[in-house]
Amino acid sequence: MAQVNQTYASTRRRRAAAVSFRVGTLLALALVVGPALWLVLGVVVRAVPHWRWNVLTTLSQGTSGGLANAVVGTLVLMAGVAVIAGTIGVLTGIHLAELATSSRSGALARGAIDILAGFPSIVLGYVGYIALCVGLRWGFSLLAALLILSLMVVPYIAKSTESALRQVPTNYREGAEALGMSSGYALRRVVLRSALPGIVTGLLIALSVAGGETAPLLYTAGATNNLPTFSLLHQPVAYLTYYVWTDYNQPSDAAHYVSYDAALILVVLVLAMLAIARIIVARTQRHSETSR
Amino acid sequence: MDEPIRAQTTSEAIDPVLARLDPDRDRPTDVMATDALSLSFASTTVLRDVTMRARQGTITALIGPTGSGKSTFLRTLNRMNDKVPGFTHSGDVTLYGESIWGPRQDLLTIRRRVGMLFQRPNPFPMSIRDNVVAGVRAHGIARGEQLDVVAEMRLREVGLWDAVKDRLKESPYRLSGGQQQLLCLARALAVGPEVLLLDEPTSALDPLSTDAVERLLRTMTPALTLIVVTHNLGQARRLSDSTMFFFDGRLVEHEATETLFANPREADTGRYVNGLMG
Ligand SMILES: Nc1ncnc2c1ncn2[C@@H]1O[C@H](COP(=O)(O)OP(=O)(O)O)[C@@H](O)[C@H]1O
Ligand SMILES: [Mg+2]
Repeated sequence: MAQVNQTYASTRRRRAAAVSFRVGTLLALALVVGPALWLVLGVVVRAVPHWRWNVLTTLSQGTSGGLANAVVGTLVLMAGVAVIAGTIGVLTGIHLAELATSSRSGALARGAIDILAGFPSIVLGYVGYIALCVGLRWGFSLLAALLILSLMVVPYIAKSTESALRQVPTNYREGAEALGMSSGYALRRVVLRSALPGIVTGLLIALSVAGGETAPLLYTAGATNNLPTFSLLHQPVAYLTYYVWTDYNQPSDAAHYVSYDAALILVVLVLAMLAIARIIVARTQRHSETSR
Repeated sequence: MDEPIRAQTTSEAIDPVLARLDPDRDRPTDVMATDALSLSFASTTVLRDVTMRARQGTITALIGPTGSGKSTFLRTLNRMNDKVPGFTHSGDVTLYGESIWGPRQDLLTIRRRVGMLFQRPNPFPMSIRDNVVAGVRAHGIARGEQLDVVAEMRLREVGLWDAVKDRLKESPYRLSGGQQQLLCLARALAVGPEVLLLDEPTSALDPLSTDAVERLLRTMTPALTLIVVTHNLGQARRLSDSTMFFFDGRLVEHEATETLFANPREADTGRYVNGLMG
């Protein structure tokens, strides 16, 4: 009888643990989803009532006018970061996961990445300003902004690439090896293909982080009411977060509207990136084991 | 087992003139052989003094308790262990009389000539058709529309064509486990191997699929030489010409399958084949 009671008690305890675990996960979910919705809605509610499409087509005039220069500037910055940081980050990630698993170069790269990742972005911006804008006399410029932004997100891309590659089942690698594929060929044709969704997702998230960054750009990109030119040096570049930040601190309603508009455009951009990430994942996962 | 048989002994008797012209006349019929092979990973010795040979067109079964070194032995034959940290070996492995580690050997060519099928089916994350021709592409054996021909031929060879001909572009992971294993077999056959190594190829499959795979393997000799690790003693008896019993990293006994099961020379072999040992 005592035995029976004991089993009963332990069953009850186990059930209570299971229930509280479920409640805990739901709570955590709410804590993530709630603020995300609140943030997006907050921006939408403030920006949509006075939204005019010509914001996208007219240039800024300081605290009034449109945001065309900033939209194009942010897109150019993101594209540049995609090329520079994307290349460096993905290659570094491949190196870490495939080539330098236990070697010294791996330890060195990993240390460097951790330092970079932990670096406050405003300090990075300041260093960029001193070294590039002043030191190399580049002035506020696209190149300085691109390099500093890229430096900021490279660790993220490298790490997400590395972890995506590490999650590729050993099965695939062994199968490729046993067929007589060289390790480079297997990497390109089998391993990367399987890691691609993870790599692309990391890249796009890094890009939205770059697009939403302000501090390093204040120091390196400067500010301008004009569209970006094709010159890499000596020409400042406009970007959306500049307007979110400066116009919000202006006293006029018109300036606040510009600030909200810039915020809305950024949010839409970020959501678009996430949607693209999803689509790419879904497309490349057609032949993957997880989406039977 | 007895002295190596040379190809010339048979063809010489039929037509001595033609036999002289045969470029393969001096080719030994021992396709794969090991000579006093010992193998360690760092300080762990996994194989001790293994000498064996696999004749052209035969099926050799490898049996023995878990951890006795069967998989390690098999993976050595196509040099899959070379890069394992701490790998060292003494003795030799030969493919048609030439050391697989010889200076003129190309690793990727060895792997093409000595194919491998794994315990768990491992199709790549690409379409069914691309899976079949993955190795063919890597070795530049065929290209363009030839690939479709190769894919169809190999899928027919493993009896999968009718089941998949309308979904060649689809994911292989929707196939059943048995079908996936057949697909992997088609992929391995597509690069034209001379030897196929199989590590418990049916242990993850249901009995019907197992039967299908076994029947298929039997049709592949004498064109191919097969070496099969199996935990299934019935399979070893049904399938193989000779059987090797491994125990604790040693090759205890290698005999014609019937002899080994009916009349084992060593006490350990007897205990194992009679189910008295794990
Ligand atoms: N990479 C390795 N490093 C160290 N020991 C290993 C390694 N691979 C296998 N072994 C050891 O070798 C022995 C034989 O393993 P294995 O060849 O897998 O046996 P089997 O296939 O007969 O079950 C086991 O004791 C295993 O622990
Ligand atoms: Mg094994």
